Amino acid sequence: MAMFSQNPVLNGPNYSFAEVPKDAVDGLREHRFNPYTDNGGSTLAIAGADFAIMAGDTRLTSGYSINTRYAPKVFKIGGTTSSQDDANLLLSVVGYAADGEALQERLDAICKMYRYRHGKPMSVSACAKRLSTIMYQKRFFPYYVYAILGGLDEDGRGAVYSYDPVGSFEREQCRAGGAAASLIMPFLDNQVNFKNQYVPGTGVGHELKERERLPLPRNEVEVLVKDAFDSAVERHIEVGDGLQIMIITKDGIEEKVLPLKRD
Amino acid sequence: MSSPFSINGGACVAMVGKDCVAIACDLRLGLQALTVSNNFPKIFQYGDVFLGLTGLATDVSTVSDLFRYKVNMYRLREERNIAPSTFANLVSSSLYERRFGPYFVSPVVAGLDPKSGRPFICGFDSIGCIDFAKDFIVSGTASEQLFGMCESLWEPDLGPDDLFETISQALLSAVDRDALSGWGAHVYIVEKDKVTKRLLKGRQD
Repeated sequence: MAMFSQNPVLNGPNYSFAEVPKDAVDGLREHRFNPYTDNGGSTLAIAGADFAIMAGDTRLTSGYSINTRYAPKVFKIGGTTSSQDDANLLLSVVGYAADGEALQERLDAICKMYRYRHGKPMSVSACAKRLSTIMYQKRFFPYYVYAILGGLDEDGRGAVYSYDPVGSFEREQCRAGGAAASLIMPFLDNQVNFKNQYVPGTGVGHELKERERLPLPRNEVEVLVKDAFDSAVERHIEVGDGLQIMIITKDGIEEKVLPLKRD
Repeated sequence: MSSPFSINGGACVAMVGKDCVAIACDLRLGLQALTVSNNFPKIFQYGDVFLGLTGLATDVSTVSDLFRYKVNMYRLREERNIAPSTFANLVSSSLYERRFGPYFVSPVVAGLDPKSGRPFICGFDSIGCIDFAKDFIVSGTASEQLFGMCESLWEPDLGPDDLFETISQALLSAVDRDALSGWGAHVYIVEKDKVTKRLLKGRQD
């Protein structure tokens, strides 16, 4: 059944404790602990001219079960207190929820220490490199997460940094992560970076002019985020329930939670 | 990936519009990561019906030839072209005949009903289970990307020109995020008494 399965869910165990085979022969028996679970879900980040927007759905799954309909994936990082009122960074984590939370707590503690020692918040570029170091330190027992870091850079422009589980990172205009990344990412290429869009009547072949890349206004980006998740919810069972959106501007961080389909 | 469905790569998508349908495919033929050809169309026309086939390339050729033979025999016996819905059932039963040794293909059928002119599209798994859809059908190694694109770009009652733009943008953006698909595309827009075939260059990497 699973041999030629096009459904990744059927290709391996989805639980931390893999089922012990009941037909195992007597005598020697191998016991195994699987330290990772895929908790599904999806995240998305877009950098604007003077803002960055980070979003994630709030469903938490293991296998075909929904463990909770409200588990946030986007976190404020680097505030002075636990209320995070004066936080200047955003981190989204998707993959294995326990590792995501551990990573978030560790990065937050480091940013808080930096603030205490230097008397100023950590810049997004410094935090980006620091996060990469933290993740690579666990190169051979990684945090099983796809992380995205967001904030405003030194010039006040929106910044988005995306990571693989071992800390390889890159600054980008936009990025989707997690279960529905493959559904959302081409949409972002097309609608944020205007890929495959050309100005009509500017010639044929290589003479065609690409549509100019203008930074999108905040209200348009919010609509794109909502549309991207509504589409992902429609076709991916691990995505749904709620959409947590955080927007960082020079005036601080705004948070809202919108409903998504719960089926 | 050693699944027969993803050795050669390829993508196909069909969409319904207002009194028209569109079907499009990429042109790549590969052996795992190595591209062997950039001119391997995956859409085949049998009279008024269009069949898109993704999956194992040898089966794409075999199955497309098999259906050309079957549709020709149908036309000789019935003295008329086969209707899309009839052809869909022919595809389904032909694939199920090979239930325990299937062709590794994911077919897509598109066309207009010859009597009512109503748009018809459907997709299949490799053993012939039909997926009737009112909006769009995707198949191939870029199917996840195509689902994301189609679900966000498609809307009901698109005219032929808007439908062409929608299916083209969906396919091009989808295959650019799939290493096994791309290298140009064929797009068919099927209207009553008119079929437009366009060749898209796309990214050549």
